[in-house]
Amino acid sequence: MAPLETPLPRPRSVSAASVFERYGLIVFFVALLLVAAALSPTFLRPANLVNVLTIAAPLGMVVVGQTFVILVRGLDLSVASLMATVAVLATAFKATTNDAIPLIFVAAIAFSAVVGLVNGWLVAKRNVSPFLATLAMMIILQGVRFAYTGGAPISTLPPGMGFLASGRILGIPVNLITLALLAIVFGVVLHRSRLGREIFMVGSNPKAAFLNGVAPDRVIILCYVICSVCAGIGGLFLLGYVGTVSNWVGQGYELDSIVAAVMGGVALTGGRGNIFAALLGVAVLVVINNLVLLLGFPIEMQLIIKGIIIIGAAAFYRTRLA
Amino acid sequence: MSAVVAEFRRNRLSLSYVIVVALLFLLVVAGGFLSDRFLTWRNFGNLFQQLVVLGMVSLGQTFVVLLGGIDLAVGSLVSASTVFIAHFLEWRPDLLWLALPLALVAATAIGALNGLLTIVLRVHPLIVTLGMSSIIFGGTLMYNKEPGGSVPRGLADFSYAKLWGIPATAIVLVAIFALAGLWLQRSRSGRSIYFVGGDREAARLNGLPVNRIVVMAYALSGLCAGLAAIFLTARTGVGDPRIGAALTLQSITPVVVGGTVLAGGRGGVLGTLLGVLLVTMLNNLLNFLNVSSYYQWVIQGLIIIIAVSIHTTRRRQ
Repeated sequence: MAPLETPLPRPRSVSAASVFERYGLIVFFVALLLVAAALSPTFLRPANLVNVLTIAAPLGMVVVGQTFVILVRGLDLSVASLMATVAVLATAFKATTNDAIPLIFVAAIAFSAVVGLVNGWLVAKRNVSPFLATLAMMIILQGVRFAYTGGAPISTLPPGMGFLASGRILGIPVNLITLALLAIVFGVVLHRSRLGREIFMVGSNPKAAFLNGVAPDRVIILCYVICSVCAGIGGLFLLGYVGTVSNWVGQGYELDSIVAAVMGGVALTGGRGNIFAALLGVAVLVVINNLVLLLGFPIEMQLIIKGIIIIGAAAFYRTRLA
Repeated sequence: MSAVVAEFRRNRLSLSYVIVVALLFLLVVAGGFLSDRFLTWRNFGNLFQQLVVLGMVSLGQTFVVLLGGIDLAVGSLVSASTVFIAHFLEWRPDLLWLALPLALVAATAIGALNGLLTIVLRVHPLIVTLGMSSIIFGGTLMYNKEPGGSVPRGLADFSYAKLWGIPATAIVLVAIFALAGLWLQRSRSGRSIYFVGGDREAARLNGLPVNRIVVMAYALSGLCAGLAAIFLTARTGVGDPRIGAALTLQSITPVVVGGTVLAGGRGGVLGTLLGVLLVTMLNNLLNFLNVSSYYQWVIQGLIIIIAVSIHTTRRRQ
């Protein structure tokens, strides 16, 4: 059966609420920037802004992937554990020259894809709830990683890995270029391609998607693979930033990536969201964290503010009970 | 005992339980063969002492999961409660009778707040409790970053006290589980948790005070976290702002291994108790076999997947 060409209800009635929902985050972000600039003279300095963006880039890569999974009513708790595992994997080649970097990337992406495949298979084929499947994956990866490193990883990395964090092409940081490329490629896939439409369909109504000739299982598995691959790439860039391998590279990114996506209006109930809005969520999160530090608050304050923001943002978007 | 029978009959959970019990039995037999220190009275005493904290937190998690929710704030709440108890008791060791109830009331109130927020803001419990967890953890760290405080002799003695050779804390734990099971099966309010978890809308149409039941379940989870903190502080003697961090996710494993479904409405506390036993005993045996804790993580992850797969497959047939 050919998929029905359903006319999209494009010319929606423009209510104040829908405008606010669409542009609210942008308004909030601009207001936040103004407040930040007013409160802290250091905030707008180029060095600080570059620093903020450099920290944001790996998280942004993870959020691109996390968005795909949340769109199909899932979530991925294993991303942070995967990032650290990929970082450890990068040391496995014991490479001291830059020739190994492409190999490291290929290995990292392949490994991540397998992890995503398993996650997706458990969720789509075995009916394991996404929370439990990815939680189990998180613990398993952690165990494998620690077993391999014996608790203390060695940081034999090609010298060029640092380039991923500090390098620039035409004056633009490499990690931002990569993030932009990832976001554009996956943004086009999600918002302009047939596959993207299928993802939204599966997310908002799996049964209807199935009746329209879409295989929900395959779409869901693909989303988990995309998520893991994005996380794997993000892990390598974060590794470049941190410089040394530890077993906990990326710790906290699983929650931060979900927080950013939710702040960006990606609905945990699936079927609603936008990659670029999710990335704006990353920017808001990172700017707030930066501001807390610049204003001299204790770092624990970040935790409290983050907690309030996550609940507030979700309430704002009315993420209803699944 | 009759509560146990009732739970078997009404929820038709017998097969889930049979599987877990069979696994437990297998584990005991295998343990007896593999290690000569495993099947000893002394080891089982230790084992029961170890599982008290996890058991308490998992019990609280069970109420919330039965409702179709999840509580990711329990770990932070346990940590915060141990910090409160230990510092309060260092300040006034004579006010033990006040400190413990105060801690329980505070933990219950925070739990109730979780439930209230999911209702008032209509936000997914995952997000609410995650946010609360972050707030509680941040607040605890602002108060004190390092383990500190102390407990009076009496409380410390309690955690090592034995009754007929069995750790007193384990007896208390089993008693609390029995009470919880009786309450869930025999009382109107207990049964209503299943109803709300199974179909919230139907429960509402039947005139159940759904909102109140939701708040109650989260409050109970908070109360259990507070009780776990008392056991924990009694044993360690300090309040540690990081001690509960791992408990959040650990508390979910026994619940799902025991056959309680994350979607809500099915399962029970007996399954959770068996799940706690299984997880703790397995780790205990692996320790005896000198399996590194790294592989124990791998095994824990596999257990979650296998248990959930078994339970879901069974349900679809």
